[in-house]
Amino acid sequence: MNPIALTWVLVGKDLKIEYRSRQAYLTTVFFALLILVIFNFAFDPGSPATREAAPGILWVALLFPGIIRLNRSFQVEMEEGTLYGLILSPADRGVLFLGKFLANWFLLIVVDLLVLLAFVIVYNFSFSVQLLWIALLIVLSALGFSAVGTLLGAMVSTIRTREVMLPVLLFPIILPIILPAVNGTQEILLAQEIQSLGRSVELLVAFDVIYLAAGFVLFDYVVAD
Amino acid sequence: MPDPSVPLLRLSKVTKRFGVIRAVWNVDLEVSQGDSLAIFGPNGAGKTTLLRIIASLTQPTSGEIEFAFKGDNQSRNRVGYVSHLSLLYNELTGFENLLFYARLYDIQEAHDRAAEMLAKMGLEGARNQRTGEYSRGMKQRLTLARALLHEPQLLLLDEPYTGLDQHGSRLFTEVLRGLKQEGRTILLVTHNLGEGLELCDRVMIQNRGELVFQARGEHLDKSGFEKLYFQAVEEGGER
Amino acid sequence: MIPLYFLMVLALYGAFLYAPTEREMGEVQRIFYFHVGAAWNCFLAFFGVFLGGVGYLITRKQSWDHLAASCTEVGVVFTTIVLVTGPIWARPIWNTWWPWGDPRVMTTMVLWLIYVAYLMLRSSLPEGETKYKYCAVFGIIGFLDVPIVWFSIRWWRTIHPVVITSSGAELEPEMIHALFVAVIAMTVLCVTLVMLRMAMRLNSSMAEEVTDAVQRV
Repeated sequence: MNPIALTWVLVGKDLKIEYRSRQAYLTTVFFALLILVIFNFAFDPGSPATREAAPGILWVALLFPGIIRLNRSFQVEMEEGTLYGLILSPADRGVLFLGKFLANWFLLIVVDLLVLLAFVIVYNFSFSVQLLWIALLIVLSALGFSAVGTLLGAMVSTIRTREVMLPVLLFPIILPIILPAVNGTQEILLAQEIQSLGRSVELLVAFDVIYLAAGFVLFDYVVAD
Repeated sequence: MPDPSVPLLRLSKVTKRFGVIRAVWNVDLEVSQGDSLAIFGPNGAGKTTLLRIIASLTQPTSGEIEFAFKGDNQSRNRVGYVSHLSLLYNELTGFENLLFYARLYDIQEAHDRAAEMLAKMGLEGARNQRTGEYSRGMKQRLTLARALLHEPQLLLLDEPYTGLDQHGSRLFTEVLRGLKQEGRTILLVTHNLGEGLELCDRVMIQNRGELVFQARGEHLDKSGFEKLYFQAVEEGGER
Repeated sequence: MIPLYFLMVLALYGAFLYAPTEREMGEVQRIFYFHVGAAWNCFLAFFGVFLGGVGYLITRKQSWDHLAASCTEVGVVFTTIVLVTGPIWARPIWNTWWPWGDPRVMTTMVLWLIYVAYLMLRSSLPEGETKYKYCAVFGIIGFLDVPIVWFSIRWWRTIHPVVITSSGAELEPEMIHALFVAVIAMTVLCVTLVMLRMAMRLNSSMAEEVTDAVQRV
């Protein structure tokens, strides 16, 4: 089977499983909404200061469901040892990575966009074309996040303390993309004129390219024993 | 065709260490085409690790492992592995599971092959049922179907009888006996003497990582073997 | 060992006696010699982690993992030195402990987080090839992050208030001499520590092999 078809088989399998166990997925979405609401309570609701901090809050609310998503992605494969089933097959490891990564990316984008929708409402921003720019930042950062996350998620899946190990390993690595993401969002939502959005996008793309390539190459070492 | 003169699999001085613990210790083993071999041993004897090494799921710390598959060195295509986990997705139906693995193994006419294997294991009735809802016996048969999808020459079985009731065990043994008659090479690992002795021509005992005893079934007094087993295990001292 | 002691004493002499007191910053500026010396060695050590990781994945020789592991430990120690000496120097000079937004400070902090995470990963894995491989992979990923961290903070900073203008005026020749000696001394210290840790690891894996051989007989 050619690699592209096989990738789609893998993605289709993951999406089908997520759809059938959608309870877990919905819980993740709900958790993200909770974070948004908690921050709104923690700061003075509706005050200018909260509005200033809103872009940061949005990205925190996107980060945590991301971690849950990635943990779940390999938890599914560990339950019945299916990860070994994948490894034992003659399928190329890079393709296995791509399949897992694409599924994670897609599922993450869907949660993230729902969170964005809720964010606009809870924090009283207006629906405008500019949200598309934020959506672009989300799609790009979710790409890098899923790429490193899929690699690290596979790695920690056999460790007993994986739930906490994944964020401990992943957060320091993705720290640098939080800056451009939050900053870009701030500009889109609050600034008078847009100056450095292009740079934010550039940096996110650079991060995405580097870690997608690294994941593709290194995944083999992570799953093969 | 089975050719017993050519070893299908040869292990020499294979050792696997986890830190200071030696799970597999100095194992020499030859398996010929058409062999049916059972490795017995108490819990923690290193049987599963040995099987994982043969399945290429884990690398030995030292020692050599050679396969002699004809015309194809890709051992992954030639080995079927039944672990104590099912390697099946609970959220997918029996058919979907097989179809997925058939595609992963790049099998032509994956649909037909998956349907054929379901029929062979007597699971047509549960074709569209999620495997999470399968009984233990059904699941075990589906696991075997999954392992056999790509027609492996060597079948590795890790404690396949765990959790099966009398009826399930019997059914499962029937299926395995059929495979044996087809000339497939079977390597079974278990701590349960009964089923292994019934099925296999060669037996071995592993204790504390080492292979401490081996014999061919024809020369073996099956009732005496139990005595021998406990003796061997006690001599080594249980971990 | 002897040259190391000699160099360290020389570096101390250079920093505290030989170099003149900085006109504006005063005595506290003397910490700069060790701060810079340690900072350069962080990058050296973490490059060692990257190298050890790549080496291990290619050759599967345990000695590469020894290199990576030892470099991480020493690198984290040196990064900690940088992060401790930095604020001591920064507080009286810039009136802030932590100049968020300075690319060097932030990069160092992110590096510290990454490699402490590396050590946590190491300690949560059982001994064996899997551990070496995972650590190699994480060491590589971590090092790939360095340029991204750098640019991220640099660019981000351009639109934020700049806390620090320039890190120092022209240095006196004596200061340059002292700095030179301090950097050399710290580098030798770093390399020596890495070698000591590697030797220790080598010894313990040799001891294991001997135990094995004895048991085999």
